[in-house]
Amino acid sequence: MKNFARAFALTMTCALALPAFAQEKPVAGEVKEGSLKGKTLTFVSYGGIYQDGQVAALQDFVTKSGVTLLNDGPTEIAKLKAQVDAGNVTWDVVDTADLPPYVHCGTLFQKLDLSKLDVSKIPPNQVGECSVPAMNYGVVLMYKNETYKDNPPKNWVDFFDTEKFPGSRAIDGSGDPTGGLIEQAFKAAGGDPKAMTADDIEKGIQKLRDLGPDTIYWKTGAESQQLAESGEADMVMMWTGRAMTAVKNGAQYTPVWQDWLVVMDQMTIPVGVKDTDAAYALLNAYLGARSQEILTEKTSYTPINLDAKPKVDDVTAAFLTSTPERIAQGYQQNIPFWVKNFDLAAEKWNALLSGN
Amino acid sequence: MTATSDLTTGAERPAFLSRFRPRGAVWLAAPAVLVLVVALAYPLAIVVVRSFTDPVPGIDNYIWFFQSAVNRTVLQRTFVVAAWVTLVSLICAYPYAYAMTIVGKNVRLVLILCVLVPFWLSGVVRTLAWVILLQDSGVINSFLRGLGLSPVKLIRTPPGVIIGMTQVLLPFMILPIYSVMKGIDTRLLQAARSLGAKPWRAFLQIYVPLSLPGVYAGAIIVFILSLGFYITPALLGGPRSILLSSLVQNQVLSLLNWGRGGAMGVVLLVATFVLLAIAAPLMRQKHTSTRREA
Repeated sequence: MKNFARAFALTMTCALALPAFAQEKPVAGEVKEGSLKGKTLTFVSYGGIYQDGQVAALQDFVTKSGVTLLNDGPTEIAKLKAQVDAGNVTWDVVDTADLPPYVHCGTLFQKLDLSKLDVSKIPPNQVGECSVPAMNYGVVLMYKNETYKDNPPKNWVDFFDTEKFPGSRAIDGSGDPTGGLIEQAFKAAGGDPKAMTADDIEKGIQKLRDLGPDTIYWKTGAESQQLAESGEADMVMMWTGRAMTAVKNGAQYTPVWQDWLVVMDQMTIPVGVKDTDAAYALLNAYLGARSQEILTEKTSYTPINLDAKPKVDDVTAAFLTSTPERIAQGYQQNIPFWVKNFDLAAEKWNALLSGN
Repeated sequence: MTATSDLTTGAERPAFLSRFRPRGAVWLAAPAVLVLVVALAYPLAIVVVRSFTDPVPGIDNYIWFFQSAVNRTVLQRTFVVAAWVTLVSLICAYPYAYAMTIVGKNVRLVLILCVLVPFWLSGVVRTLAWVILLQDSGVINSFLRGLGLSPVKLIRTPPGVIIGMTQVLLPFMILPIYSVMKGIDTRLLQAARSLGAKPWRAFLQIYVPLSLPGVYAGAIIVFILSLGFYITPALLGGPRSILLSSLVQNQVLSLLNWGRGGAMGVVLLVATFVLLAIAAPLMRQKHTSTRREA
């Protein structure tokens, strides 16, 4: 009996282990020749230069695998929800903002099987249960040289100090609340962001409200860029890509890198896609070093493969966030906290943005 | 006026046309009705149903709406801004439309083009042009500074939003007023003058009442369009000039609370209907009484 049990166990182990051995471990950026011939994948992102860059980064994957790649966009979680609710999901791989894959993990986005992806080259702490990063960027504080001259702000605490640093402020009011900014506001109000509770969100928001009625809440990245290029605001909270473009266009502003807020777009596979394995193959190809180099060269966003060595000009290089120095200065928001309190934070944020 | 009476008597209608009239007239509206049912009535019904059923059946979404101070403030603000835009548009449009009726053919063509050209540009482009004009470091304030005057705060204030929205909506006010004004028989004014009325009195008592149907039509169109404005207040306004559509957008697109978004839409719709129901008898009364006088 004992022998039988042992033999049985051994057989089962072999039976289970065999397919695992037979299946090759995926390598980021690689895809089998002709493996997706006749198949179609729809990739959804935010359009413009960004999506063009992503498609260029996937060109090698398309050529090798033989897949037909369709593009759609811009990403709207509401549209995705409609597809999932109707049981007819036509978006196979979706690029989303920072938090949605955490908020809707398992309901709109599939939990990822990491044995089908090579995530070894992704910067630390960026792989979520339902997402891998699509690229990195940052939110920086840009100050106007002419206003502050020899006494510039050095961090977000200075941003919230209107006595020592008078002048108008411009803040990202384009959508969901930026958790990192509220944490910094809470810190400026004397709190400890690491010990933040749901009740503290209001304290952080109040600190933002205290900046006064002249505070500008910009609605689009283009608007933030315009604010800097025209010298309209003295301190502007900006996405690094827009900050870089503004500087290239002659804006006399300087970035403050201390506690720049780490942000990323996410790559996800929605629940209910028709060919999950094909979607995984696309993701895995996207994560490759060469793909990420192409992405950065085309879009100037920071690559999310540590081996990527993109060739870019000096200004672009100055705004990439993947150097060891930048990684050390970066500030990562408390993702689980903001996911848990998403509705509350959004409600308070909307009240702030509607003048209440 | 004369044109309509000719049509209603049907005196000049050819016999073969009147034979086809009853059925033909109904079917002519079929394509439009189909589009309205598919693109308006059905989605609207879904929105209403969702507002009472999503996430749980009941009136929770409405309770939430009226309990939130933010929603109440913004709803009130939306109507106030819409009223201002309607008023400012009317002040700009009335003399403009009048000018269109009295100038020569070529000048009228230029005036019509001035109204229509903005229609061919996207609202976003026009709004961004206003940003450049109105902002603190913008054209208007640079000009004021150049003259040694103190700059004025225009952008991110309610007046900035009202200016931008008025410009976008002005054609919707000018065109209905103009179409009524050009049908007004100016001999009526001459008749009034010959009976001893001063020019301004003839204008106010004869011309203005006759032009009121156009004013009402324009005012209703502009008011209702203003209630749903989104991009212009978002770009030209600060937090104190956000309108309800922005809050709806937040609920629907970023928070995925479709029930709440639906409830907000229904509240806005019902409030609009109530307001129109109050205004409609007033308009009709004035209109008929002036007619009797005329």
